[in-house]
Amino acid sequence: MKTPLFKKSHDLKLLVLACAVMEKEIRQCQNGRVEFKFFDYGLHRTPENMSKAIQVEIDRVNEEEYDGIILGYGLCSNGIVGVHSHRHRLIVPRAHDCITLFLGSPESYKSQSVKHPGTYYLTPGWIEKGETPLSKYGSYAKSYGEETARWVLHEEMKHYTRIAVIDTGVYPLEPYQKIAIQNAKFLGISYEELKGSPYFFKELVAGPWEKDFLIIEKGYSIQQDMFFDL
Amino acid sequence: MIYQEKKINPIKILPTIGEAEVEMKLVQLQQAVALRNCKVVKELTEGLVKEEVDLFKILNHGLIPGMLENSERFRRGEFFIPELLMSSRALKIGLNILRPLIQERKRGVLGRIVIGTVKFDLHDIGKNLVIILLEGNGFEIIDLGVDVPPEKFIKAVEKNGAQILAMSSLLTSTMSWMRSTIELLHASGMDGLVKTMVGGAPVTPIFAKNIGADAYCREATSAPAMAKRILGIREDEHTSFTK
Repeated sequence: MKTPLFKKSHDLKLLVLACAVMEKEIRQCQNGRVEFKFFDYGLHRTPENMSKAIQVEIDRVNEEEYDGIILGYGLCSNGIVGVHSHRHRLIVPRAHDCITLFLGSPESYKSQSVKHPGTYYLTPGWIEKGETPLSKYGSYAKSYGEETARWVLHEEMKHYTRIAVIDTGVYPLEPYQKIAIQNAKFLGISYEELKGSPYFFKELVAGPWEKDFLIIEKGYSIQQDMFFDL
Repeated sequence: MIYQEKKINPIKILPTIGEAEVEMKLVQLQQAVALRNCKVVKELTEGLVKEEVDLFKILNHGLIPGMLENSERFRRGEFFIPELLMSSRALKIGLNILRPLIQERKRGVLGRIVIGTVKFDLHDIGKNLVIILLEGNGFEIIDLGVDVPPEKFIKAVEKNGAQILAMSSLLTSTMSWMRSTIELLHASGMDGLVKTMVGGAPVTPIFAKNIGADAYCREATSAPAMAKRILGIREDEHTSFTK
């Protein structure tokens, strides 16, 4: 028989530190045993700041407060590399980034990126945070004028061939569909809807954190090569 | 030797502006790249060339430090893609002025480099900046674009007789293709003739070492110096003399 990850199964108290872009999806899975802290979604742009922000929070947690800490992050461009805890065991999903978490498995992410490497993924969370090509264009134009904005967006997006919205089942999809279609039209690329899965979010909150999770023991840190075989 | 130096006219015309003024203009050039001001970059570079300032100085004390400053600001999250692209554009204007002058001073190319973004990865902002920098330094570039499979890299190296194979990736999910490409290069028996260079946001020095790459570039601006180093070319070669 497998030894359970935590000796006690009752009164287990866990802390989830996660990206705000999946806040709704994670909160949906609340079971009363976990507490949440969500971080600014913008951290993904600066991986060095991401690990620092997460580390500060981990270091702040007292040993007796929780039995373990769960990270609601993928490898995120090395944004969690080096993160460690001296007082708690860390549980981390084995995923390159949140797209895997939304889609529900590393395999589905892989098959999507093999079929359509030029996919710009959107989820309701990402759209709400303003991370769409159209809203980027708007903010570029505000700072640098329309001509420059067009040029920048073209340079940034020229190899993308598809916008895919992942339906995570938590939001009513329709308003987000509309925005995603507008974006696809604006860029002149195709639009598709992909079915998401709550698997990772449920598992994040409730366990048993088996095949798709890394268990980082106290004093060890998260390393890039732990994700290479995905 | 990859090339032969052209004979240089031994009569050296003294710069008409003083050292201090040159230094000041180089600092201004650095700032103009950092501030993404194409017009000023063009004026200052042309002015410095006209004054017969060492091309190596214009590159490495003017244009490149300005770009490096912005790359670092991008890394720290103070700048985003528009600022990065706009400074690349300003840098390119300066380098386009220097390139023909550098080419004029040599008979062959400094080296031939096959470059591309690895398979299943379509990000090329960093790679394109590396190309601007390498071309500006006198290298000949064969750009394979994005989503380049290992076989295509190897074929291009063979066909063009390249001395360097350079690869970029922006995703942790695609960087392993660098390893596959280097392995294929080894299997093809060309590894003794070709050096490999890797870079891109998720690539680390440890990863580069583990996959057997000859050079790792932390940022685009270090690519020319690294390329010269692995080919055993002096850092200031082809750029260190005036007309």
